[in-house]
Amino acid sequence: RRELPDGGARPSVAQFKQLVVSALRELHGEVGAALPVDVLTYEEKTLSAILRVVSSGLVKLWSALTLLGFYQNRRCAFRVLQASPFLLALSGNSRELVLD
Amino acid sequence: AALSRRYVLCEVVSEDPRCRQCIEDRAVGLAVRDAIGRVHGDYGLACCSISFTVKYLNAYTGTVLLRCRKDSYRLLCSALPFVRQLESRNQRYPCFLNTLHVGGTIRTCQKFLIQYNRRQLLMLLQNCTNEEERRCIQKSLLSCSLTEEQSQSGDEEDDDGIE
Repeated sequence: RRELPDGGARPSVAQFKQLVVSALRELHGEVGAALPVDVLTYEEKTLSAILRVVSSGLVKLWSALTLLGFYQNRRCAFRVLQASPFLLALSGNSRELVLD
Repeated sequence: AALSRRYVLCEVVSEDPRCRQCIEDRAVGLAVRDAIGRVHGDYGLACCSISFTVKYLNAYTGTVLLRCRKDSYRLLCSALPFVRQLESRNQRYPCFLNTLHVGGTIRTCQKFLIQYNRRQLLMLLQNCTNEEERRCIQKSLLSCSLTEEQSQSGDEEDDDGIE
């Protein structure tokens, strides 16, 4: 999941995808922009999404999102909450797991 | 050697004969780095620029020898087909780069270039119609060899209408 803290207008799904692809294009060029990235879910309220990418492209995607600093001239940041090869694993966040 | 480099030999092919005057090391270097930046982004550009230079240039034959790090030569080679024009002194001409050889040392590239030029001269010999040109080409073919000081094979008779 990615989260971006913002103050003003929130991006829609298409704008979010465009943001991801342009981040890839800046850091990794046309080769990066051609990497097949899918937005599986997107919540405009919390601005979090689940992205899917080929495992060989994870490094490129993660580094491009880390270095993305601006959205429409406003500062923003991507925070990766979880990365996993299985979609089911994303339903529970093991970082907040409390063992009793 | 820990610091290994790769030398990429390519030739500039253009339909416009005025493109030859554009072939200089800064123009070619800028065009290649621009292509790498477009295709591989900031990361690729920084990666390949670490040890990137144009080592040798021959404007008459359009031969260019580029040097880069061994770790990033694949980025460089994959970006070479995206070089579309050469620009210098506010003039730009469309062209493309043909990769001839990738070697680890300048010497291997030089050996390849001499053999390649010899084959090109033979092809020119087959196609030329004038007897005097024939004699000139034969003379330069017989005189080209790899001597101990960096000598190049004879590069005359290049614009015989073969381009």
